[in-house]
Amino acid sequence: MSPMTKQAMERILENSVSRRSFLSRLLATGALAGLPCGLLRPGTAEAGQVWEGGYQTFRNACPRNCYDTCSIISYVKDGVVKFVEGAPESSFTRGGLCVKGNSYVRRVYSPDRIKYPMEQQGRGSGNWKRLSWDQAMDKIARKILDIKERDGSLLGLALTKYSGNFGITNYGVEGMMSSLGYTTRMVGTPCWPAGIDAQNFDMGSMWCNDPEDLPQARYVIVWGANPAWCSVHSMKFLYAAQEAGAKMVVVDPVFTQTAAKADEYVEIRAGEDCALALGLCRHILDRGLYDREWVTAHSVGFDDFAAYLRDNVTVEWAAGKSGVPIAQIKALAEEFAQARPATIWIGYGMQRHVNGGAAVRVLDALVAMTGNVGKPGGGARYGHLQTWGFNYHAMLQKPPEGSKGWLGASGPKGEFDVSGGAGNAKYADRALNINKTAQEILDAKDPPIRMLWVACKNVLSQDFDRPKMLKAFDKLEMVVAVDQFFNQTVEQADIVLPVTTLFEDWTVNASYWHYWLSLNEQAIKPLHEAKSDIQIAAALSRRMNELAPGSCTFATEIDSKDWMAREFNKDIYDLFGLSSWEDLRKGPAKAKLASSASWADGKFATPSKKYEFRSDLCAKNGHDALPMYKEGRAPYDKLRLLTPHHKFAIHSQFQNLDWMADFNPAPFVYIHPRAAAQRGIADGDMVRVFNKVGEVRLAARLTSDVPPDTLLMYETWYKGLAFNCQNLVDDTSADMGAYKTGAPGVAIHDQFADVARA
Amino acid sequence: MTPSFELPLVIFTILSQQAIGLTLLYALRTAGRSARPEPSARIQWLASAGILALGLVVSLTHLGHPEGAPRAVIHLSTAWLSREALLFGLLVALMAVTGFLGAVRALVIAAAAAGLVALFVQGMVYAPPSFPAVNNALPFAFFLVTAIILGAGTASWFAPQDRQPFLRRILVGALVAGLLLFLISPCIWLSGGAIMRLTAVAYFASTLYWAHIGVGLILPLLVVLAVRRIPVWLPVLLLAGALCGRLVFYVDTVHSAVNLGGVY
Amino acid sequence: MKKQLGFYVDAKRCIGCFTCAMACKNQYQQEPGVIWRQVYPLKEEIYPHHERAFYSLACNHCEHPACLEVCPVDAYSKRPQDGIVVHHQEQCIGCGNCIRSCPYGAPRFNPVQKRAEKCSLCWQRLDAGLDPACVASCPTNALTLIDLATFADPGAVQFPPGFPKMGRLNPSTRFRQAELPKIIKREDVS
Repeated sequence: MSPMTKQAMERILENSVSRRSFLSRLLATGALAGLPCGLLRPGTAEAGQVWEGGYQTFRNACPRNCYDTCSIISYVKDGVVKFVEGAPESSFTRGGLCVKGNSYVRRVYSPDRIKYPMEQQGRGSGNWKRLSWDQAMDKIARKILDIKERDGSLLGLALTKYSGNFGITNYGVEGMMSSLGYTTRMVGTPCWPAGIDAQNFDMGSMWCNDPEDLPQARYVIVWGANPAWCSVHSMKFLYAAQEAGAKMVVVDPVFTQTAAKADEYVEIRAGEDCALALGLCRHILDRGLYDREWVTAHSVGFDDFAAYLRDNVTVEWAAGKSGVPIAQIKALAEEFAQARPATIWIGYGMQRHVNGGAAVRVLDALVAMTGNVGKPGGGARYGHLQTWGFNYHAMLQKPPEGSKGWLGASGPKGEFDVSGGAGNAKYADRALNINKTAQEILDAKDPPIRMLWVACKNVLSQDFDRPKMLKAFDKLEMVVAVDQFFNQTVEQADIVLPVTTLFEDWTVNASYWHYWLSLNEQAIKPLHEAKSDIQIAAALSRRMNELAPGSCTFATEIDSKDWMAREFNKDIYDLFGLSSWEDLRKGPAKAKLASSASWADGKFATPSKKYEFRSDLCAKNGHDALPMYKEGRAPYDKLRLLTPHHKFAIHSQFQNLDWMADFNPAPFVYIHPRAAAQRGIADGDMVRVFNKVGEVRLAARLTSDVPPDTLLMYETWYKGLAFNCQNLVDDTSADMGAYKTGAPGVAIHDQFADVARA
Repeated sequence: MTPSFELPLVIFTILSQQAIGLTLLYALRTAGRSARPEPSARIQWLASAGILALGLVVSLTHLGHPEGAPRAVIHLSTAWLSREALLFGLLVALMAVTGFLGAVRALVIAAAAAGLVALFVQGMVYAPPSFPAVNNALPFAFFLVTAIILGAGTASWFAPQDRQPFLRRILVGALVAGLLLFLISPCIWLSGGAIMRLTAVAYFASTLYWAHIGVGLILPLLVVLAVRRIPVWLPVLLLAGALCGRLVFYVDTVHSAVNLGGVY
Repeated sequence: MKKQLGFYVDAKRCIGCFTCAMACKNQYQQEPGVIWRQVYPLKEEIYPHHERAFYSLACNHCEHPACLEVCPVDAYSKRPQDGIVVHHQEQCIGCGNCIRSCPYGAPRFNPVQKRAEKCSLCWQRLDAGLDPACVASCPTNALTLIDLATFADPGAVQFPPGFPKMGRLNPSTRFRQAELPKIIKREDVS
């Protein structure tokens, strides 16, 4: 039947209440896919194929800065990626990808992709006009030269970039900035900085065991992590541990998918990880179950820590703070201490609190005092940067002669900064806190931020306090966004530049969790007019030098494959047992590890070369020397609000694809039935979630997966929906992060809100 | 029936049942009488054939590929739909021939019999295991009642005066039977499995369901009882009511896949 | 017994990650809206936590398939060598009868082709010695391929709660049911 008839019929049928509820039920089960309303959807590209063999294959790597960083094989025919699969050579992914990785072909050929440079007449107007690359580069270059002329420096040009596209050559974006002069950089990381600092204070570095040794663990606590959604390939190792007799316990404020697969789930009051962990330590101490021998041989300050525990911590206190019953704390402590090896997977979610770094230090201490650091199957697993020793050739660019910049101290620009800060140079970049981007733009003076370059990042989906960010954008004279889709940041940009997907240019990718290294080959020609970040930098450099010779030191012609090759060095080759990067064309390679365990030789990278229960370095950085209790953030509204990752997205990526919407069409806020009943909210009702930051409207789902004092919604970007959880998250800092990443982390999960029927 | 809400099928089933109803009613009211056909027999039968042919043409529009329709008769061994296609094709021819030959008694009986069989086959097409509420004789019963209601109503336009009371009695009986059938069936579903219960709730919550009961059954019944004849406009009302009822059948009969992961 | 391939759905291992469902789209580049494999969360009457246990379902490659039986143009066939129910899309006239009739909702309407389609159990891949795309993609080994002629897991069930019991069709999918962890709730709010 024609769509018109169908619509007319729908209107007639809308009278029936049950009709709507049945339709929603159908939508939920996907059964609507068979309905003729499918006719209303736009038809797209070439669809419907079967496996036919005879494909050309290429090596790719998922560059989304995820635990799993999957190694991909792309199957190409006639210059078109037909489908993708995981690389079977990796014993970590074993030929698998995830729901997002399997949607990549759709992402490449999506009708929604940004196809050419465009300029918007009025931010947020949607009034886009196509530009040629020459026109776009000309507008941008002239603006940069204008800033230099007005301010005498390029500090009015700011870069905000994170890990949305995380190849090593993508650091060419930072390189492009350096090659223009001294600029303003949003430094730090919203992801994991508090925990990084904590592990640096305790052990001298962040360094986790090989996740593939999890099956050797006899006891696993997954604490504030949800690998069933965020590291699907780790799950089989956790299962293997369980099948070999290990107990898996999940500690989390929410009954996550990982919790559902555990032997035991411990619901904890969010932000009280510190207290529970200290309670466990105290009980282990009382029972004499700590590893006296290891502590004596390999650590400093344990006696101070023990004294702190005896004087300040009781199991009863820990139970009161965390909500976990006393008996369970004692049982958990005894089981954990008596299993060897035992390990804790420390999630990033649990350190996104004002006391997150302190909590990670206590968890480290718990693992260390039970003698589990340095043991295969043991360890305080958080992450590592062991396989990231590239040349950063694309990143390390020199400013033009005579460039002027920031006078004053300059620290690291993020966890991957290998430049070692400004060194002895007279000038430096101006470093602003990436986690307070909006406030920093509003506050920046002499000169103000005039222009913002956004790459590998979706500022208006990911940065905190979105209402404030919109105000900050009003101060900017020009916003350039480099992206693949018209997302919420591009909506607020003046110029957008189309960037390549992973299949369209060369790079190399490592993981911060497993120990595999993957080459990313160019499998197809860039679609439309897309260019990679370094090709954009080269194009800008060409125009800059035409307009003002010598104004940009970036290469004007780049062979991306050659630039990828230049990232390799002898240390990388030795670590992975490679004779050349070309070896990676045969498949990903794994680092040759002396042991699957970090710190296996007991030599730590701390000032004392031992595990430091008492860290003077930590004290010097403004924190407690000992792993101590730190108060959480005082609630500023009635319910706690959690905004963790969804399984259908990594931050604002993937959920926008129509394929993903087939499985997950709309967001929900999850509310405990009791909290909902108090507010007269029924399952499926449209509600308003609001706090001092702003407001979000969406449908409610009632579930006891969340505790009665907690609201939960997943942070992600749905194409065509205004939903954005950053309207409810402020930019309050976490305790740690400044030491190793240049800026403290952010207390994403220390947020509060209330909810009412809309 | 939710996953395949198709207006062409609603129209096809209603028109085909109207045509078969006319045939059945002709056979019934002329049974045992002299072999002389009614004066308007020819036009009646050609009208039946025309209505059924129109229904068949409309049914083609629900196919993704109407050009493949002739092949729909190749799976007679197991597919009720193939049997339906073949039978309705033959029935159109039979009705037309009966009309052209002036309602020869043997042909009348053959067409009526074929019509009854066709209704049964059509009922079986709509009784798959995926719709537990109608995975039984109900579709046949629904279709038969609808055929007789529409047939008796429409026949009143053609039948001679002396046979109108007969048609009126048949219509009253069919309307009462329909009322009971369409009201009681969902009540029975309420005591069935989850999908049957969902179907019952969907029917009862549907405006169209009550429109069918009210406009298509109760109102005509009251009118006929009050005026003791079948007014000339009544068949239009009956048709509208039947369309409502059939829409409910297609839209609100719940498919078992709707509840995958839930209780059955 | 003759060879009969089917899926083994291990709900105990399944994390509801939808990788299998998307791997299917990836292999067949289906139109938006066309889903051969869907991951169904178990309702709370069956598993007491919202969206925490799942059945990943596609075509069950039944012994007596409803789709095959009702197709008026005989566009379905059952491969004698392995029991795969194959839909020959080029013969399909898009009548929707299979979509209506399959109790498991396996056949779907392709709005562009205007024909039905459904899970082929990747017979082209199987014939080339590869696993089905969904099975190959599963990160937890929760979805596997079994041959009912040799499959003998005493713990496996054919009709777990949440899956319609259609004995006459005899679907070839087998299940292991999800389990619950021991749950320790917060004292301060419960």
